[in-house]
This record gives sequence, C-alpha cells and structure tokens, in this order.
Amino acid sequence: MLLVHPVREVLRFLPVLIGVFVAGRSTGGGLWQVTAVVVPVGLGLLRYLTTTFRIHAGRVELRRGLVNRHVLSTPVERVRTVDLTSSLIHRVLGLTTVRIGTGTASSGGDDQLDLDGLPTARAQALRAELLRIAPTGEATGVEHPAAPLAPVDGPPIVSFDLGWLRFAPFTSGGLVIAGAVLGVLTQVGDDLGLFRRLDPESLVRGDRGPTVALIVATVIVVLALISLFAVLGYLVTNWGFALTRPAGGGGAAWQVRRGLLTTRETTLDVDRVAGVVVGEQAGLRLARGRRLAATVTGLDSSQQTSSSLTPPAPTAVVLGAAAQVLGTAAPVRGPLTPHGPAAVRRRWTRALVPAVVLAGGAVVAVVLGAPVWVLAGLAALPAAVLLAVDRCRSLGHALVGGCVVARSGSLTRKRAVLGVDHVIGWNLRATWFQRRVGLTTLVATTAGGSQSVTLLDLPQARAVELAGRAIPELVDQFLVRD
Amino acid sequence: MESLTDPSPALREPAERVSPRARSMWRLGAALEGAFVVGVAVVTAVVGWTPWWLAVIVGVLVVAWAAVVPQWRYLVHRWEVTETAVYTQTGWWARERRIAPMSRIQTVDLSESAVSRLFRLATVTVTTASAAGALSIAGLDATRARELVAELTTRADAVDGDAT
Repeated sequence: MLLVHPVREVLRFLPVLIGVFVAGRSTGGGLWQVTAVVVPVGLGLLRYLTTTFRIHAGRVELRRGLVNRHVLSTPVERVRTVDLTSSLIHRVLGLTTVRIGTGTASSGGDDQLDLDGLPTARAQALRAELLRIAPTGEATGVEHPAAPLAPVDGPPIVSFDLGWLRFAPFTSGGLVIAGAVLGVLTQVGDDLGLFRRLDPESLVRGDRGPTVALIVATVIVVLALISLFAVLGYLVTNWGFALTRPAGGGGAAWQVRRGLLTTRETTLDVDRVAGVVVGEQAGLRLARGRRLAATVTGLDSSQQTSSSLTPPAPTAVVLGAAAQVLGTAAPVRGPLTPHGPAAVRRRWTRALVPAVVLAGGAVVAVVLGAPVWVLAGLAALPAAVLLAVDRCRSLGHALVGGCVVARSGSLTRKRAVLGVDHVIGWNLRATWFQRRVGLTTLVATTAGGSQSVTLLDLPQARAVELAGRAIPELVDQFLVRD
Repeated sequence: MESLTDPSPALREPAERVSPRARSMWRLGAALEGAFVVGVAVVTAVVGWTPWWLAVIVGVLVVAWAAVVPQWRYLVHRWEVTETAVYTQTGWWARERRIAPMSRIQTVDLSESAVSRLFRLATVTVTTASAAGALSIAGLDATRARELVAELTTRADAVDGDAT
C-alpha cells in the first residue's frame, strides 16, 4: 500500500492561488474567489489521499474515492506496457506518474490505470515488479524465468543525436505546425488588409508589382518559421532519446526514454511486440530518414505514443533498431516482391482519373469564362503522375524471417512488418474491378497497432499462396483440390 | 500473367449457403430503402424542385437495385466451419473472404433484428482480438444459427490462451 503524493496538486494550483489573492486584494471581493480555489484544491487533495493501489494475488488494484468508491482491478499478466511520465513539476519534486497499459478498449479517464505522483524510485521498482511478475511467452506456452528487471538500463541501442534535428522540418508534425502557423498568419494578414491589395490576376498579366515580392517574402518567412517550430517541437519531445533493452531475465522488455521538459519512459513487454512499422513518409525519404513504431499486442493505434521506438532519424539507425527488435534484418532491409503489371496499371488509373477530371474541369471552366488562374488546376496532372510513379515503386510485399512484410503508399508510405505468429486471421477483399484483372487485397489481422497489415492489390494466386505459406494449417484446408 | 502466379493455388468457396429466405429479407430491406428514396424523388418532383423524368429514372434504378442486388448477395454469401477454422464469404460488388483460426476466437454473437425475426433468420458474428477481423454470417436460419453458436463456443473454449 502506498499513499499517492498530494503535494503536486497544491503546487499546480499555487500560481492560481497567488493570482486570486492579488486580484482579490485589489477588487475587494476576496472571500469568494479564495473559496473557488480552495474547494477544488481540497477535493484534489481528498482524491489523492483516498487513492491507494496494491499488487495482490496476481492483480493490480487501484482504489479511489471517499464517497463513491471506485475499484479498478486487472490481472498483472495483462500488463502490456508501463509508462513513467514526469512533468517539470514532477521532476522538481522527484515524482513521476505511472501509467499501466493493459490494452483495454475503454478510453474513459476513470478506467485508466494511472498512479500519479509516485516517488521516482518507487515507480521504477513498481515497473520492475509489474513486468517481472507478468508471465511472458504466453502465446507459445513457454514460461521465461522470472528474473528481476533491473531499473538501470543496458547500453542504448539508439541514442539521441543533435544531428537528427534536421529531420524535424520533414515530419508530419512539422506540417501540422505549418498549418497552424499559416492559419494564424492568414488571419493576421487579413486583419492588416493584405489580401485586399493582393490581386491574383496581376500575376498572370506579368505585372511585377509589390504582390510578387510580398508572396516570395511570405513564403520564405513561413518556411523559416515552420522549420523553427518543428525543430523546437522535436527537441522538446525527443531530447535525450534512448532505446534500451534493460538487463535481466535475458531482457524481457524494450525501454524508450525521451523528453526535454516532461520526461517519459515507456517499457514494452518483448513478447507483446508483434511487429514494427517503418514510417517512410515522402518528406522523411527526401531527408534520408525514417521513423519506427512497434505494433504492440493489445495496444491500438490511439495509444500510439506508447509504441514509438525511434523518432525521425537516419535510415541506418532506424533500420538497425528495427532489426534488433525483430531479431532479424531481412524484413526491413530485404528486397520486396513487386505486385505485377495489373497492380501497376491500377495505381495509374487511380491517380490519373481524379486528376484528369480536375484538370478537365479547370479547362472547361476557363473556356466558359472563369478567370485564367483557374488553369492552375492543370498542375494536378504532373502531381498525379509523380504520385503514381512513386506508388508503383513503393508497392511490394515479402514473407521473410517469419514475418509478413507489406509496403505501400507515397506521401505516407510505410513498411509494415508483422510476425506470422501474431497474425490472427486473413481477409481477402476484391471488388468487381479487382476480380476482373485478377487482383485481391490481402489483409493480415492482428490484435495490436492499426489492427491489420494490408497487402494492396496482390495477384490472386500470390495472395492465396502467401497466406497459405504463412499459416499452412489454417489455409490449406480451403484450397481448391485438383 | 507472370512468374508469381505459376503454381496458382486458389481458395475454394466456403461450403454452405445461407438460408434462401435471406434473399427475401434483403429484398424487403432494399424495397424499404428504395421506397424512401423514391418517396423523396416524387415529393421534390411534386413541389417542383426537380423534373419528373428524374423521379422516373430514380424509380427504375431502385427497382433494378432491389431485383439484382439481393440475388447477387445471396450467390456470394457462404460460410464454413471446420475443426480448426471459420471461413466466410460476404459482399456483392466487393467480395470479401475471411478466415480466422478457431484458436483466436474471442466472442460469438447471435443477433436477430426485428426484420430478420420476421423471416426466422439470425446473424452470427465471430470476433477475434483484432478490430479488423470480425466474421459475420448474415441470413442464417435461426435454429441453425443457435446450433452454430453452441458449436463454435464449445470449440473455441477447447483452446487455451487469451487468443491474442
């Protein structure tokens, strides 16, 4: 039994308290405002004073509430991940928050196994205890020796390098920030009346006034700002990043540590790692980078932050880490089998048809009297060609090293690797168009990550052959007998 | 096509069809939906927002839909349960075959909607630990469905582990 620390709550409210006192003094109505703060602080304290947890008879139990008692209990063997998060305040006080990931489908705050405000040493001991008790190798029926998991890490497999900051502007996080910044700038520009002076047709007329200079300057400033924010964001999230395999028990877990202000340590049970996903987004590929996430059985993709194995980093580093996690390099480095001419044709039609419609629409609109700049819609054609070429090049699959490997996509290209042992079903889906050209989309379902790995547009026979080779005892009984 | 497909193995269709009454159920469903769409088309035509010929075209399409799709669906829908696996085939335009090992089954659901009870039919859904892996057999005879649920439950129970 351990009393969860209440100090943090008071500290969190301290700035508000001071603010209210100052405001109260100056306006005279002090009492009400103080009550408004004291009550939540009191309730918070009460909550923390009445929250207890214990590990008993193979279960983790969390009790809270004074009037409404709430008891949460889960078998220790269901623990998939343990997260230790410390915000700045936590770190000053030497505390940490333990989040126990059990892969529950419910996302309600009350059902999370969160132990807030544990002393750091106690939290680390708890983590070791949780992952030591958990019987591993359950799927194969093999019991690993329950050796203690040392809180100290082994040598890191991946550790942070300042040079990685160059990848920040190429990440989707950077794009999100870009969107936000652009939004704000547009708003400001609108308020300043910039757009009333901006005349799109002057560009076409070749009227090189202040408009062109303004656009160029804006683009440069926006790009610089995006890069800056992306780099800062990357630094704050990933500072001190380290992927380790803590010593003890032959290494029963992967541990990821990172964060500049709020530090976070995630520990993944090795036997729950079903596979990895190598993120190969177009931007990252330009910068010769990749990122890596684990597919953890029982954790779905909404708990993505718990399963990240490397931030955007150099390809060699990421693939090295993936090979370590998988125990073999072939699935991430090996060649992939292309899907054949029918799949390539399908990539082209799917990219070109919407682009042709768009471009054709633009031309028709201009002929019917729309302004000339609408012809910019023609840019959809070369964009679609690039997209189709890249998608064709990306498309590939393999069954190697005991893993199903699938790669597809262009802007958000990824290479998904899933251990055959973790495939819990096959879906073969084909629309009428696909059947006509002999293609089918094979989906391997699994209990973690995005719940499935999709092998897009495989030749039908190849799909059946692959599914059969992966799990013969399942598929063979449904094959056509000659 | 190419070397990939040389030893061309193919999946056969699952052995069993769903109940022929499923066709009637799907026709009723299609008719109800179609009646709503035609109703909207007729009302807008009466009000004068859309021309009458549009309502006529909509009507023809809906009749064709209700005549063709349920039959097509019936021809596609098949299922099979073996000692070690469940195998289903569903859809019409997009055909989907799903295979799940008995050892990975987590729950077996039986559901009977008001319409399906009218035809003494039921839907059996087998879920695995993956959100992408549920197998659903619609339009089973209600009695057959109950037997199937009992059978699946017994077989799935016989396997150890937490099926992830």
